Amino acid sequence: MISRVAEHCFWLGRYVERLDAMARLLRVNRIFVLDVELPREERWLPIVIISGERERLAEHLRSDVPEGDAVEAYFTWDERSPVSLRSSLYWARENARNIREVISLEMWEVVNGGWQWFDRGPAQRLFKKDRDAFYREVRILVDQFRGLSQSTLLREEPHHFMGLGALLERAGQTARTLDTRHHTLDAESKRAGTAVELARWNMLLASCSAREPFAKRNRGLPTGRSVAAFLVLERTFPRSVRYCLDEACLIGRRISPRESGRPAAQPSLAALDQLRATVAGYTEPLLFEDSIHALLTSVIEQISEVCAGLHRDYFDPSLPDMTARAGAPPPVKAAPATERTPVMTAPIDHES
Amino acid sequence: MDARPPPRRQQRLPVFSRYRPLPDAYDELFAASGRPHPAIADVVARLEALGGAELRARQRAADTLFLQSGVTFSVYSDNRGVEKIFPFDLIPRVIPGEEWRSLSRGLVQRMRALNLFLADIYGPQRILNDGVLPRDLVLASKGYLPQVHGIMPRGGVFVHVAGIDLVRDGDGRFLVLEDNLRCPSGVSYVLENRQMLKRILPGVFSPSGVYAVDAYPMQLSHALASLSPVAADDTRLVVLTPGPYNSAYFEHGFLARRMGSELVQGSDLFVHDKRVYVKTTRGPQPVHVIYRRIDDEFLDPAVFRSDSMLGVRGLFEAYAAGNVTLANALGNGVADDKAVYPFVPDMIRYYLGEEPLLGQVETFLCARDDHRRHVLANLDRMVVKAVDASGGYGMLMGPQAPTEERAEFAQRIEANPRGYIAQPRVELSTCPTLCENGIAPRRVDLRPYVITGHGGDPWVLPGGLTRVALREGSYVVNSSQGGGSKDTWVLGASNEEDT
Repeated sequence: MISRVAEHCFWLGRYVERLDAMARLLRVNRIFVLDVELPREERWLPIVIISGERERLAEHLRSDVPEGDAVEAYFTWDERSPVSLRSSLYWARENARNIREVISLEMWEVVNGGWQWFDRGPAQRLFKKDRDAFYREVRILVDQFRGLSQSTLLREEPHHFMGLGALLERAGQTARTLDTRHHTLDAESKRAGTAVELARWNMLLASCSAREPFAKRNRGLPTGRSVAAFLVLERTFPRSVRYCLDEACLIGRRISPRESGRPAAQPSLAALDQLRATVAGYTEPLLFEDSIHALLTSVIEQISEVCAGLHRDYFDPSLPDMTARAGAPPPVKAAPATERTPVMTAPIDHES
Repeated sequence: MDARPPPRRQQRLPVFSRYRPLPDAYDELFAASGRPHPAIADVVARLEALGGAELRARQRAADTLFLQSGVTFSVYSDNRGVEKIFPFDLIPRVIPGEEWRSLSRGLVQRMRALNLFLADIYGPQRILNDGVLPRDLVLASKGYLPQVHGIMPRGGVFVHVAGIDLVRDGDGRFLVLEDNLRCPSGVSYVLENRQMLKRILPGVFSPSGVYAVDAYPMQLSHALASLSPVAADDTRLVVLTPGPYNSAYFEHGFLARRMGSELVQGSDLFVHDKRVYVKTTRGPQPVHVIYRRIDDEFLDPAVFRSDSMLGVRGLFEAYAAGNVTLANALGNGVADDKAVYPFVPDMIRYYLGEEPLLGQVETFLCARDDHRRHVLANLDRMVVKAVDASGGYGMLMGPQAPTEERAEFAQRIEANPRGYIAQPRVELSTCPTLCENGIAPRRVDLRPYVITGHGGDPWVLPGGLTRVALREGSYVVNSSQGGGSKDTWVLGASNEEDT
């Protein structure tokens, strides 16, 4: 498929995943802070940290300790935030709009209809009137999109790249969510088993839609260690780091170009395999032998490395390389500069 | 879907009972007597049976559906596009089958002549040597590309897709208003409007025997593949778009989707050794036919405008070498130049030895001294158009324009006579249209689409884009100037199947 189109698919998958994650974080945290009495800096700050938006938000709110409504409004509506629901939905739609002939009509209608809803009055009114219903609407939108991509799309490259984007985004999201609690995961807290502590682990699990799946695997009360082990290592849980990387590697086999029947070596896919192997080598005790913070940080970094590699290998292969692969020897003249027109091409109209 | 509310047992509001056609204009549905034209009376009766309230409810449902499905065009200022739906009026414009068949013959004749003209101009130039057309006027056209001289496109086809704008005069005769032979747009709305009316007005539509329009994308890809440098089955066809901020971006994607081809931007393509390739996740793949929706001068920065970011360096060489088919061909602008338009009837006589079947609008060339004097003396009765503009831009509606604007145009004409033509204002026909205060006559035009492939006659899409000037009293139907569209029904499909 066309490289640019593959990139739009990849980012469409990522933005929808990001939309889902942020809506869930906001919804879960909103309920969580109602449950327990927490110091102010523990209420909404973790969300801000997960999103990597601490500095921008502090500047925006003129306060280091952000509070509920302001945080929710910022992460819902503010287009300055690259991870707000607004930004994710806008960019999901923009990417979809660029590849309308690739995705199914049904998928387009969901993402376009969703944006029309979000960008106009009804969403704003619902946000004011019934916050929980608002987040539920966003979730339904995401679920419809995912369901339709399963039921209406050919199982070929566009589907693969969309899935790859979603899985890598999700693995990073889970790692970041867990990392905000890294200092307490292994602590023999005096408060272990207290209401606050349990609420905290429940909140963490719920942020990853993991409460019930966790309960199916763990009979005891959740502890920092058991929660961390579940979210990183559980092979059957679809939001665990391990599961996401396993699945991403499977997709990698499908998109890797074949030379004489075998997958060709692609640096990005090799890096992905390597990362998966590293994570798969861990067990619960090993997780805490060294710093889990260091492990999570390295996972997050390596995921961005893989994404950069995918860009080089698939989305924007350099022109001289392309020319060489076009069959003939490379041109004698210097290859023309790669003019990569950004998505925001200046409008010029030639239609009559 | 709330498109069709359950039938209600209440008194129906009349639909057309208070409708009065304008005195000087031909009306598409009603004769001067106030009765519907006999050939389309059944359709009018079925619309009447719906009732006024129901019609409005369905109009609202249609608007919602268009927005949801993202059938939009972009209007922009600065760099950021704003998407709008193309206003749609659900009362169809209906053309009797008999009338359509003669219109269609006229269009085929015109396209054959225009193709021969282009092949001649970029070849032996017989028509200029024989003095039938003024050489200076033709070669001074901005659309004439000297670089293209001597390059014969495959099959001799220059105009693969044409959109011919037609209007009706006060007597109901179809006249050609202008030819669009470069990147005519709008066909996606023809297909989408039809889809919509079939959902919204099934009871009116189904018994009427309306010709289907769905075949357009198939006809187009078939025609283009027939002109490919390689076998049709091995052909990679792409649609080349300037990108999502182009006003017709929706259409580019729509056609790519319906033709099963890929939508590409200039940056997706490159040329190596005079062959065109598309960058894919599996390396470069050859491209054989490009349905391009980018204007000539932006197509190859190496040959035309060097600041173009939309085109593909080297594309011209690949085209000249015959390794890629461009649709439409390069250089067509010389044939749809508004100053060349008055000579199309001469072309038809010259190349085909036939009399033109379609009339056209009397046109004054400001480049000619006698014409210019006449135009300047009668500006208050003229429509003045820049020869290379489109979309309703660069135009003076003399009868309606304020004095200062007329004075300004007079100066422009004096400064650049070759740049302008003038025509008397035609009393465009009207069609009943749903307005704020009931149903009122609004001016319409018609753009049929003609596809030309290898050998055989051009194919005319039965129907076309009916554009409607939604503002009361307006004669300008362009979407950029507050125009909307209607579905165009050509009747007679059921008769044809019977015989």
